[in-house]
Amino acid sequence: MISVKHLSKTYRNPDGSSLTVLKDINCEIQPGEVISIIGPSGTGKSTFLRALNLLDPPTSGEILYNGENILAKGYPVHKLRQKMGMVFQNFNLFEHMTVLENIMYAPVKILGVSLAEAREEAVSLLRKVGLAEKAEVYPSSLSGGQKQRVAIARCLAMNPEVILFDEPTSALDPTMVGEVLSVMRQLARDGMTMLIVTHEMKFARDVSSRVFFMNGGYIHEDGTPQQIFENPKRSATKEFTQRIRRAVFEVGDDFDFPGMFTTMTRFCIKNNISQYCERVEKISGLMLTDIMAAYRPMTVRLNYKEIADEASLDFMVEELQDSPLNGESRKKLRSLCREIIEEPTTRGFRVKLLL
Amino acid sequence: MKKPVSLFVAILFLIGLASCSSGEDKVAQLHDEEDIVGLTVATAAGSCYDLELSKRSDIDLLLFNKEADLLNSLLTGQSDVIVHDETVFNSEIRRDYGIKIAFKGEQEFPTAIMFRKDREGEQLALAMNTVQNDLLENGTMQTLQDFWLTDAYLDNRTYRHVPVETEGKVLQVVCITNMAPISFMIGDEWYGMEIDLIRALSTYLHRPLEIKLYDASGMIALRNGMADILIGGLFVTPERQEEFIFADPYHDFHPAYYVLDKEAQAGTSTDFWERLKTSLHKNLIEEARWKYITSGLLETLKITLFAILLGSVLGVGLCAMTRSRRNWVRKIAGFYNWFMAGIPILVLLLILFYVVFSRSGLHPATVAIIAFALDFAAGAGDIYNTSLNAVPHGQTEAGLALGFTRIQTFFHIVFPQALRNGLPLYQSLCISLLKGTSIVGYIAIQDLTRAGDLIRSRTFDPFIPLLVITVLYFLLAWLIAVLLKWAMPKNQHVL
Repeated sequence: MISVKHLSKTYRNPDGSSLTVLKDINCEIQPGEVISIIGPSGTGKSTFLRALNLLDPPTSGEILYNGENILAKGYPVHKLRQKMGMVFQNFNLFEHMTVLENIMYAPVKILGVSLAEAREEAVSLLRKVGLAEKAEVYPSSLSGGQKQRVAIARCLAMNPEVILFDEPTSALDPTMVGEVLSVMRQLARDGMTMLIVTHEMKFARDVSSRVFFMNGGYIHEDGTPQQIFENPKRSATKEFTQRIRRAVFEVGDDFDFPGMFTTMTRFCIKNNISQYCERVEKISGLMLTDIMAAYRPMTVRLNYKEIADEASLDFMVEELQDSPLNGESRKKLRSLCREIIEEPTTRGFRVKLLL
Repeated sequence: MKKPVSLFVAILFLIGLASCSSGEDKVAQLHDEEDIVGLTVATAAGSCYDLELSKRSDIDLLLFNKEADLLNSLLTGQSDVIVHDETVFNSEIRRDYGIKIAFKGEQEFPTAIMFRKDREGEQLALAMNTVQNDLLENGTMQTLQDFWLTDAYLDNRTYRHVPVETEGKVLQVVCITNMAPISFMIGDEWYGMEIDLIRALSTYLHRPLEIKLYDASGMIALRNGMADILIGGLFVTPERQEEFIFADPYHDFHPAYYVLDKEAQAGTSTDFWERLKTSLHKNLIEEARWKYITSGLLETLKITLFAILLGSVLGVGLCAMTRSRRNWVRKIAGFYNWFMAGIPILVLLLILFYVVFSRSGLHPATVAIIAFALDFAAGAGDIYNTSLNAVPHGQTEAGLALGFTRIQTFFHIVFPQALRNGLPLYQSLCISLLKGTSIVGYIAIQDLTRAGDLIRSRTFDPFIPLLVITVLYFLLAWLIAVLLKWAMPKNQHVL
């Protein structure tokens, strides 16, 4: 369906310097595939996506769409884009139109669909994304999640063959990510061909049929979600997909407890694990003021392994050989966590609590 | 809107009334130039009186451009004495406003008709002298002086008419003051001492006359060949003789020293409504002066609307240039904006009229439309550009990504949003253009402001003409707002 060969993109700055964002991209995309594009920031994921529908025309290389070279001179780019929808990070809804008009506008003006037909189609699309009751309001009164669902409906109204999603949930409040992802999940089930630039690793693992790991302007590794997330062939992929996010606190005698709790809460929200928030606070409070109150200095770590959806709390004391826990304290902790691991380390002793 | 306007009118009136009744005793006994020591003296700016009086250090000198303002300064007590031609404030005016001539100065100011300093001007001046000598010999000059330069013309309103030539090369006459009894207008018709003199010249040369009313800038028109003759009570001075040629003086004027007349003041009516009624009658009904206002209104409206139309179109081009990919095109647009931002619109107007289009025969109103359109274009282009920039780039991207072409994206998606951003700015630009047109009087266009000035220069009323035109400017501004609202797409559904 889409065939990309030796694609590169170089930005030239006014001061004469230049920046090569895409170096040599090659891939084949078949109809019905759902491809997640993941990777560290600044590795050209969005640029790659925007090169496919020529919003950011590539510097060199070849893109074939259904066998046609879309980079050929005189190729009707707007016709291509009618078949290749795009959903943006910032929604980009037309602010001067109602929700319904946003969805109807392109079919009516471009495809010449009758108003009645377009309206019917728009209403059914709105129902599909769960926003039928918002048909007559203006985008400014919608939440971010609602805006993005309308943007997806607007895109679907053109009956595209493939949809490009450019970080569709990155501008959203964490509480609104779910509603957008569930709409996308439904689309994938319906067999839509999708290319998704995303930072939502769980979503990428669960929904994609294929994952591109991009790094340094190349597709560093291309494989099934199982391969990319569980058995990556290349070390950079492994480092990225199995990375653990951490918040670390050094607890001394004069420690800022409220500050630590704030940071922990923020960490949970940022990583979309707000459900752990309360327990994290309870356990830390119990450990620091009661069970391990005597142990100072101590290092506390809040860990989150995204791909395994695994959160844990570490309490580490240097030059300690024996576990600071006893039967009573283990009993207290067991009601709050899944598993207690007590183990000596090279420098001391660690209590790891899996949440 | 009604309430604030009537309040404004009332306040202006009260200020006028309150200030009319002051006056001091120090002017009671004035007999000659020595007596004005220590007084505040007002005179016409740039006149010969100005030159003479500014040599004196023992008086406070106030300068005004318009005779009406001069008179008003005396009435409000801003000045104690005003110095001007003995004929300016005739007996009727003196009676109406309660002023009198304290004394006349000894100095004589020979006054004559002025021509360009070239061959053609010399010939015209010679012809003028021949005509004046003939008039002197057959006694007509004396008759004219007796009629115009005393107040005889006030009692006998049958103004003199000389048969008008219609064939031959037109003599272009520029008059720089609308002031009885030298040269003044009633309706479209010209009257006065100097008018009769140039009519005699016209008969002698068998060439028809075309008389236009200019401001003081009329001297430029004479110099650059747009006019053949300059009139309007011009004193013969050495400076002017260096640049121009004068015919023989037809009269020597003495400066008159006008002061408030206590007794006459006491006699004037103090009833507010009575005074308002008289004032309105004098300024609007007498000599059908309201016609100046209506034709001025139309002139202002015409210039404003056409300048907005032309300027808006030019603005589109300018905006396109500003957004061009080519650097040099952007630079040209930038230079244009910089130039228009820096040049006062009055200077632009005068340059276009007296330099660029001086020989083109373009109607002054057309020149004014071009000048204001050029100025408006800079502002409009800026507003278009800012409004377009205010539409987020994501809107363009979304339009393109849906499959609109670039042009469709602009007209369907970006432009409607830019329109909403820019409309308030555009409207205030239109209204400042409207108000800006009040300077077109400088190039002999009788717009609304000029209409007020024309009436003021005849009635010397300080307030009524100003009030009337103020109210009319408000109405015009309101009209523009209504027109724009009507012309612009409503805030409605796009489908």
